[in-house]
Formats: sequence, structure tokens, C-alpha cells
Amino acid sequence: MELNSRSVLIIGAGIAGIQAALDLGDMGIKVHLIEKNPVIGGKMAQLDKTFPTLDCSICILAPKLSECYRHPNITLYTLSEVNNVEGTIGNFTVDILKHARYVKEDVCTNCGDCASVCPVRGVPNYFDANLKTMAAAYIPFPSAVPPVYIIDKNSCVYLNYGICGLCAKACGAEAIDFSQKDEILEINNVGCIIVASGYGLLEDVSPLTNYGYGKYKNVVTALEFERLICASGPLEGHLKRLSDGKDPKKLAFLQCIGSRSDRDKKYCSSICCMYTTKAAMISYEHNNDLESYVFYIDMRAGGKGFQTFLRRGSDEYNIKYIKSKISHIDVDEDDTPIITYEDYDTSEIKQMKVDLAVLATCIIPSQGIEKLADILGIELNNYNFVKTNPFLPVETSVEGIFTCGCAREPMDIPRSVAEASGAAARAAEVIKGG
Amino acid sequence: MTFEPKILGFLCNWCSYAGADLAGVSRIQYPPNMRVIRVMCSGRVDPVFIFKALLTGIDGVFVLGCHPGDCHYLEGNYEAEKKFMMVQKFLNNVDFDKRVRLDWVSASEGKRFAEVVTEFIESIREQGPSPLSGENMDQELFNNLKAMENSVSSDRIRALVGRQRKITEVENEYGEKVPIDEFNDIFDKAIHDEFVRQRILLSLSSKVLSVKDLAAELKLDPSEILENMLMLKSRGEIDYQSIDGNTPLYMRI
Amino acid sequence: MSEKESEDVRIGVFVCSCGTNIGGLIDVKALAEYAKTLPNVVFTEDNLYTCSETGLTQIKNGIKNHNLNRVIVASCTPRTHEPLFRDCVEEEGVNQYLFDFVNIRDQDTWCHQKYPKEAFDKAKDLIRMGVARAARLEALENIIVDATPTALVIGGGVSGMTAALSLANQGFETHLVERENELGGRLKTLYKLFPIDLDAQTLLDNLKKNIKGNKNLKVHTSAQVKNIEGFIGNYEVVLEENGINIDLTIGVIVVAVGASLLTPTGYFGYDGKIRITQHELESKLQNNEVKAKDIVMIQCVGSRNDERTYCSSVCCMTALKNALIIKENNPESNVTILFRDLYTPGTYYEDYYRRARETGVIFIEYSPEKIPIVKEHQIKVHNEYLGEEILIPYDLCVLSTPLVSNNDNKALAQMIKVPLGEYGFFLEAHVKLRPMDFATDGIFVCGSAKWPVDITESISQGYAAAARASRIISHDTIEVEGATSFLPDYNKNLCTGCEVCIKICPYNAISKNEDDEIEITQVLCKGCGLCGATCTNHAIIIRHYTDQQILSEIYAYGGKEV
Repeated sequence: MELNSRSVLIIGAGIAGIQAALDLGDMGIKVHLIEKNPVIGGKMAQLDKTFPTLDCSICILAPKLSECYRHPNITLYTLSEVNNVEGTIGNFTVDILKHARYVKEDVCTNCGDCASVCPVRGVPNYFDANLKTMAAAYIPFPSAVPPVYIIDKNSCVYLNYGICGLCAKACGAEAIDFSQKDEILEINNVGCIIVASGYGLLEDVSPLTNYGYGKYKNVVTALEFERLICASGPLEGHLKRLSDGKDPKKLAFLQCIGSRSDRDKKYCSSICCMYTTKAAMISYEHNNDLESYVFYIDMRAGGKGFQTFLRRGSDEYNIKYIKSKISHIDVDEDDTPIITYEDYDTSEIKQMKVDLAVLATCIIPSQGIEKLADILGIELNNYNFVKTNPFLPVETSVEGIFTCGCAREPMDIPRSVAEASGAAARAAEVIKGG
Repeated sequence: MTFEPKILGFLCNWCSYAGADLAGVSRIQYPPNMRVIRVMCSGRVDPVFIFKALLTGIDGVFVLGCHPGDCHYLEGNYEAEKKFMMVQKFLNNVDFDKRVRLDWVSASEGKRFAEVVTEFIESIREQGPSPLSGENMDQELFNNLKAMENSVSSDRIRALVGRQRKITEVENEYGEKVPIDEFNDIFDKAIHDEFVRQRILLSLSSKVLSVKDLAAELKLDPSEILENMLMLKSRGEIDYQSIDGNTPLYMRI
Repeated sequence: MSEKESEDVRIGVFVCSCGTNIGGLIDVKALAEYAKTLPNVVFTEDNLYTCSETGLTQIKNGIKNHNLNRVIVASCTPRTHEPLFRDCVEEEGVNQYLFDFVNIRDQDTWCHQKYPKEAFDKAKDLIRMGVARAARLEALENIIVDATPTALVIGGGVSGMTAALSLANQGFETHLVERENELGGRLKTLYKLFPIDLDAQTLLDNLKKNIKGNKNLKVHTSAQVKNIEGFIGNYEVVLEENGINIDLTIGVIVVAVGASLLTPTGYFGYDGKIRITQHELESKLQNNEVKAKDIVMIQCVGSRNDERTYCSSVCCMTALKNALIIKENNPESNVTILFRDLYTPGTYYEDYYRRARETGVIFIEYSPEKIPIVKEHQIKVHNEYLGEEILIPYDLCVLSTPLVSNNDNKALAQMIKVPLGEYGFFLEAHVKLRPMDFATDGIFVCGSAKWPVDITESISQGYAAAARASRIISHDTIEVEGATSFLPDYNKNLCTGCEVCIKICPYNAISKNEDDEIEITQVLCKGCGLCGATCTNHAIIIRHYTDQQILSEIYAYGGKEV
């Protein structure tokens, strides 16, 4: 498949990729937006509310998702990855590996009949941080874009064993197509590339054993907690102890898990101080009896309105901040987490029993970044984020390949959005300026 | 036969309408009593609309907008709230204030949408059918609501509610911030006066009456009637028609 | 008073079955039959999937064969499918605003599955309401104004220079206005830049070189903006440069006026000699004037307190930077930093912090309840970790102060008609969705003018503002959806000039012209309807959501006109 006009190829359709795509599209420049997941929106779509305004994440994201989908200058490739890149600035040729969806995108009406008849249940839904399961025919969340279902090829019994096929029979629009295959698409005349591949989380690669994650039911990661308090998540926002379903009274938020650490990552994950306060606030909104304790090293809140946000947390939402260093987590006979920590202000080793312990885990580079960097020929820094110069913040080591957002450095949504526009400007200079 | 309430909902495109759609997409069930009018912003809902709806005999009116701070148009829901509070002040006079409701539902709150709508429908069911619906319409209530509709259509009331946020939260023409209590005192009196005036005008639209007649019909003190009649006369909306003995009779111009 | 009253309104209603999603619960054929009985409806049809190619063709055929001039589709939800059907009817010659959508799936059959009869009745009501509305719809054209492909950047610091360069590189004639006689802003007085200790002058020289070499970029130094009139795409700007007035026609404006330094008078015995600011320290370091051996730095001076609650985000890194320079010049010196929370987020900054620790800089945490006491030669501080009070001797005390907003932000804000937010910084349209935009279209903001940021962010924000601005002037015209608010000529006599509409518009789209008449700048209007709902004399009309259209829906449901 060949395309003719000089375009920009954006890798990753999280908020940064989407913003850059919209800005470039609005300038009249053609954009190819590549996303490895079946739907766009990245991590922001999984959040309940965002700091410092506590507005509903999907509400402010959804219009951007729709705009992206319908923009005349943006071509969206989901379930797609960059396979190969040739050429130089002004004239790249990019091969995209587009995985089969097994559903015809222009026919599916998003009615969900396939999912309701699919006999394969228990497939972990990544969108709900694997806390909820779905069928093999699925869409990660109801208002997803593209509004098209997917057949998970790993779990589908028809694709693996040649039996069933109930979804195809149930689909009134005849959108199911098991004959689809993975394909390579060639995109020519790409003027420049923007890497907006976002981030992964430490728990994706590390067991976090001394915190009891994976072992103790009531120890969860921040993303899991986000899904638990989310109105559209597995508990519909009614927080419960995961071991016995009882209402929690005390929450502990442990900062810098795996970050600022000689053992794991040396750097600071940058957004956790703020999102922890946010998570504690949302929990309090659902249940005014909750007490929240934040175990931190330094509270980092330098953005606009951030300090006021923290103050509100301690003044109005019953959040207590304890400067400390965490040692480890055990549980008692009721599976209640016990946190052992050094209280910084008194230099004493103390213990606290809480109903739920939330680990603010370190943001790490996106899975597959090394392979992508190899394909693009760009350098990664010693932490495997895309390497940039602080005074050329959106340039990679290859001319014509730009980057933005968490692909290069942990950062919050306002910064990601601003940098994405910044990368769009640089890309526009190349496309328009020659 | 059980009473099935007739509910009208004004939903804003970006939040509550989207929340309603999400309820559907998620197959969350709720009673089928509400019909929706889609607006771009809850701030579009002119108070006149609410009264018109009630006058047709609709049992309950629900305005649903974005949560404070989330309005797609930045401030529309704040304005919607002020207008709605004014509507309720009027409706208080006829015990109708619980037949209207304002609430906030975001685009991601499908379940909450279903919950608040269900709750409102049940509340209206308990209150029973509107006295303006069905065969034996309560004419006096109709007149009162009509007078309220005309009141919220009047420039004085509209100017007060339109300026409310600016005056009480920022500053008025003289650079002073007016305390909300002070504003409410002025506003409440204006609401009361305008309602009386519109009732008078309504009564005079079909007949010629004296101050005493009006005082009896509206169940108000004659001195209050007179005060407002003089104001209406100076506004050029009524005038003398004739004298019956010693009593002037007024007509609508 | 619309021409529509004499025109023959011919409505077509298409009821969708959406497979079984609608048709499985309610009888769509019966709905189409019912629609036929409604006023002005001349043609109805039920479709299996109205949004499919087949369905769209059926709509077009309906329009053609029955001369339809209004089309209603009753199916899923306008939020996903309205654009599709609007395009479809336009292709067959019916103005897109003469199309209306009735939601009988997402808000009917999908959520009333146990009540098929009631769901059917609801669909009937909704269709009746939709038909009443459609009869009163009017054709609308999108608003189009010219876009002058020029940009004005106010402020020649690093953020403004970056924005101006990017716009110029994209081919736009760009005017960069700087109040001082040289470009550079704070960069001119900085020594080294964290986190790679780049020489500030190197960065500045590089920027100036690129600016000089760019034919599209016109620099105005010793210049200020005197006046701005107009609106997006069409600003009339008057500059005063060296006493001479210059008139410019500008398409987009970027505000990049930066921030000011706080002089900490009254804090910790500040005297500008032995107790100085970081900025003063930096000048001294540049001129090799620092001979002190015991240096104590205090963070959060004048910030994170009741007067100024915010964290200025750059002060910790600045302190570390200067501490590293001092240590490098004199490894024997004692440098202590008294801090509350150390702000070094991310990868670069955290590494920088470690570097500082490794060179022997000492960090002592203090609490806001026990502020350090600076005496003549010693500082008394309650060391939170030790739980004890300690005395630290010093011969140089450096106070880390926040960036604060410029004193003249208010005047500029009033001139451009943009808002200021907390602490006098410029207020953007939305912290996350539109961080570089003002609510008024066509004007953008970047850098410390918005909130204290470091140079990395000043640069990326400069680029970002350029991208946002470029979207507007990359096209010859600016087009806005036609469903705007307007004051028709025939209603001008109703307008009492009360100006409530001006104050209530969130987008500053309403103003009074020289003839004292209310003017609604169409290209700025977002169609929210606040002005129409508030207008004290019902003069303003909200297109596509007029009072008449909405009332017709109310009457159609209520069953009578009242």
C-alpha cells in the first residue's frame, strides 16, 4: 500500500501521540498514527480522574479520540507496530506490521453481540489492569475508538482449534472475518517520525516481592488501584478489601516503589506524588470514613496548582503524609497488610496496619522500546528512555525523528500534551519548511 | 392503573448525554419515563423552557450537566445552576420545587446516570401526577406558573440572574464584590415582586379589575397589590379604564 | 420571521432496526408508519442498518425521489453517527443542518429491555419531537474568515525565541517583540544551565544566530505592544519600537513574557551582600567573585507559604547547579542546602541530585513550622532527621526565591482580553486539554508567563505554542461550525444594550462596536448558548438550538402549545 504526500508517522496513540496527530492534522499535514493496542487512548483512558483538577479522564479524552478517528488527515493503524524503517529525514519509508483483528473495521456496528455469545471467558482484560476478565471477542472498554470489536487470537477457540464460530453466526452485520491475516503495509514518503510510545510500569517486569505484591491480596499497584476506584472499573468505584470484600478504613500509599533506588531504578518517576494524592482524594469522595497515609521521601508538586492540590488533600480529605523509608510489607492472619517503615521525623522503626496498601511503582520505558529504537536507529539513554538533549527536548539522535512525552522521560499529562504539540511543531518545520 | 410519570430531561451533549449513551452501551437498565432534549450545554436551558414544560402538564423536569469544573464550555454549568436555583425559588411558591431537579453526570458515569434518573422518576411518582395534566387542570396553578414563565422572561429578572456570578464572585460596575447574602435579599424581593406583577397582568389580560378585586383573587394584601400596580402603571403596562363609584378599575395595555 | 414559513417543508424519516438492537425489541415498521402520520412528513422507511452503504443509499434515494428537504434518522446516537449522516444528505443536496437525529437505541432499546411496549411509546414520542424540531430547522453555512499568515510573539526570552523561530521556520512571517534592547530575557544573566551545565551564552548565541539567519523572522527590540484590536486571523496590532509606531496585521498571537524574580526583602535578613539570592550568586560565580568557604542555601524562601502557596519548581535545581559550581571551584568549601522537599523529578534531575550529594553537598531538611533563623554568622536550624537544633556557620547565605508573575501582566491581559489566574500568571484554557491556548481563539501562551518552568519546558512549550498557532494560519481561511449565536438585524431594536451577554460569554466573543451595537464575533463563538439563554430581551438567537426549535420539542412531548 503506497501513499503519496509527505506525511508524518507517529508511533503510539496515547495522549501524546494523539495530540501531536491532531495538531499536525489541523495544520493540513497527513498523519499516520500507529498504535500497537487494538484501541487508542493509552494509559490516560484507564484513569478515573486526573490531577490537579480531578476531572474525569475519559470524558476529556473521548472527544480527542473521536476527533482523531474522524480527522480527514489522520490515518489510524491499530494492532500495528513499526517493522522496518529506511531512508532519511524528508523521505522515510516505513513498514508497518498490522495484526489481524478478525473483525471488519468498516462493517462492525459495535453492538457487542459477538461478545455476549462467545463461550471463552476468563481472558484477562489489560485495560482493567487484569483485574477483570472478558471474552475472546471483546472491546477493551465501551467507548473505545475505533468502535470495533476484536477477536483475541490467543484465546479464540475457532482460530486455534477450528471449532465454535458462534460470534460469526451472531453478528448481524457479518463483520467477523476469520480469514484475516497479519499484513505488512508499506508507507512511503514519510517526512518525519514522532516517537510517542509512552511508558510501561515496573510491575510488568519486576516481581516487587518485598512488598508482597502478587502474594498478598490487599497489596495492589497504583494502576490496579486506579481501576478499583474507577466508576467504570471492576468494583464500580466501591472500594473493598480484595481479600474479604470488607469496606476498608485505612489506606496506605507507598511512594517511590522501585524508583529513587539503588536497587531498582535510580530516577524519580515524577508523577506519583500527585497521582497518589489524587487517588486518596477520590477514595475519600466515595467513603468519608477513610484515612489515607502517604509514605514519601520528597513530595514533588511543582506544576500549576499542584501545591494547592496537596494542601487540599491534607486539609479536606483526611490524608496524612509521613516522611519515611519503607522496609517491607507482611500480613496478619486476616491478610491485613502490615507496613514496616522508618519514620523520618523520629528516626524510629514503626509498623502500621492498613486495609489496602497501594504501591506507586516506577514508570519505565514502554515494552518493546529497545526493538523500536533499533529499527529507528535512535539512541536510548542509560535508563532506556529515548535519549534527548535537555535543550533540544523533542529531538532524538536521528535527524527527522522526534519524540515527546513519557517515551523520553516520566512526566504528567499537561507536560505530555505540551511536548506533543512541540514535537508537532518541529515535524511541521520539516514538512513545510523543507 | 399506576401513575407513570412523564419526565422531560435536558441533557448536555458533552457530559450527561454521553453518560446516558454509556448507560445504554453498558446495557444498564432504568425506567422508560424520560424523554430527552439534547442541548450543547446545560447553560442553554432558558428558565422559560422549564416553565413551558410544566405548563404542558409534564410531571417532572430534569436538567443534567457536567460536574462543576468540567463544563466543555468552561462556565455553562455554573450559569445553569444559578438559573435553576432561581426557578426553584419561584416554584417554591406553589410547592412545585421538587418537580424539577438539576444534577451533574459526567460522560463516564453511565451507572450514575441510570441511578439519578431512576431516583427522580420515583420521586415524581411519589408526588403524583401534575395538577396541570389530565382532564381537570388546576386553572389557578396554571395561571401561577404562567406568571412565573413571564417573570423569568422579564428583563429585570433575567438581568439579575445573568449578572449574579459576576457581581457576587468578581465585581459589579463599581468594582465592588457584592456579598451573596446581600444579592440574595435583592434577588428574592425581585422574584417576589415580579411574580406578583405578572399575576396581576395575567388577571387583567381578560378582565378589568380593581385593587380590591385583585387582592382577593391573588390572596395578597391590597397595599402590596397597589404598590405593584403603580409600578406596572409607570412601566406603561396597565392603566385606568374606568371608575366604579370611588374605585378605579384597571386594564392591561 | 423565517422564510421557512412559506416554504414547503418535506420531512423524510428513516427508522433503523440496527440488526436486532432496535428491531429486536420494538417494531420499527410500525414506527415508520407512525412517523408518516406526523405533520410535514412526506416519506418514511425502515432500514436494517441505516449507517451501512445500503442504508445511506436508501436515504439518498428517498431525498431524490420525494424531494425531501429535511431528513431524520431514528437510530443509535448522534454522538457517533451524526457526522456520517450529515455528510450523506449534503452529498444529495440537503444542507447538513437540515438533518436531525433521534436516539432510540443507546437511550431507548438498550436500556429499557424489560419494557418493550414502553420503549416503543418512548420511540414514538422522541420521533414526534424530532419531527417537530426538524420542521423548524434552518440551513446554515459554516462561518469562514480569512486568516492572515502572520504571527506576533510577545517576549524575546528563550520561550518566545523558540516559538518565533519555529513559526518562521514553518514559513510564516513572524514578529518577535522584545521590550529590552537585546533578545534573551533571563538567559542573558544566567551563567550555566542545568542539568548538563551548558553555558547560557552558548544557548543564547545559538538562538540569536538562528533568528538572525531567518528571513521570515522580524525582530523588534526596545519595542512594546501599544494596542491590539480584532480577532483570530485578523488582529490589528500597533507596536511602538524606539518611539516609532508600527502597524501590523497579525493572524495569531503568542504571549511569552516570562516571569520576574522575587527580591526577598524581609526574609532571613536579606541584604544583597552576604545574604543574597541565587540569581545574584550566579552573577558572582560568573565573575569569579565568590570567595566564601561556608555557604548555606535556604530553599522555599517566599514560596510554599501562606502568601505564595506554590512551588516554583526551578529553585532546587538552581541551588544544586550553583552548589556544584562552588564545589568544583573549591572542593574544600562547605555547602549546605536547607530544604523542605527536594524537587528533582524525572531522570536528568534525579541524577543531578545524586551528583551533588556525591560531591559532598550536605542536605538538611527543615519543616515549615520551624523555619531556620539566620543570625549574623550562623544559621540555627531544626534538623528534622536528627530531631535537634544545630548551628551552621556561614560566610555566604543564598536564598532560593520563586519566580513571580510580572507586574505588567494585568495591563497586557487587559489589552489582549485574556485572563490572569492564580498569583497573576496567565490563565490557559484548560490545564490538560489546551495548555498552550487561551480560551479566546487565536492567542497562545508559553513559558514562565503561564507558570514557573525550567528552560527545557520553556523550550518545548515555545514549540508547542508555535504548533497550536500554526494550525490556525496554515490555512487561508478559518472555518467554524455554523451553529453559532447571532443578533439578527430584525432583533436589533430588542437589544437594550445591557451587556449581560458580553460578560457571560466564556470566549469573549461578544463586544460592542464603535456604534455601540452588540457584535458577536462569529468565528469565536462556540455555540454554547449561554448568551441566548440569558439575553434580557430575547434578542439573541442560538442557531440550530433556537428557542422555537426547543419549544417545539417541548410542545410535541407535552401534547399542547402553552
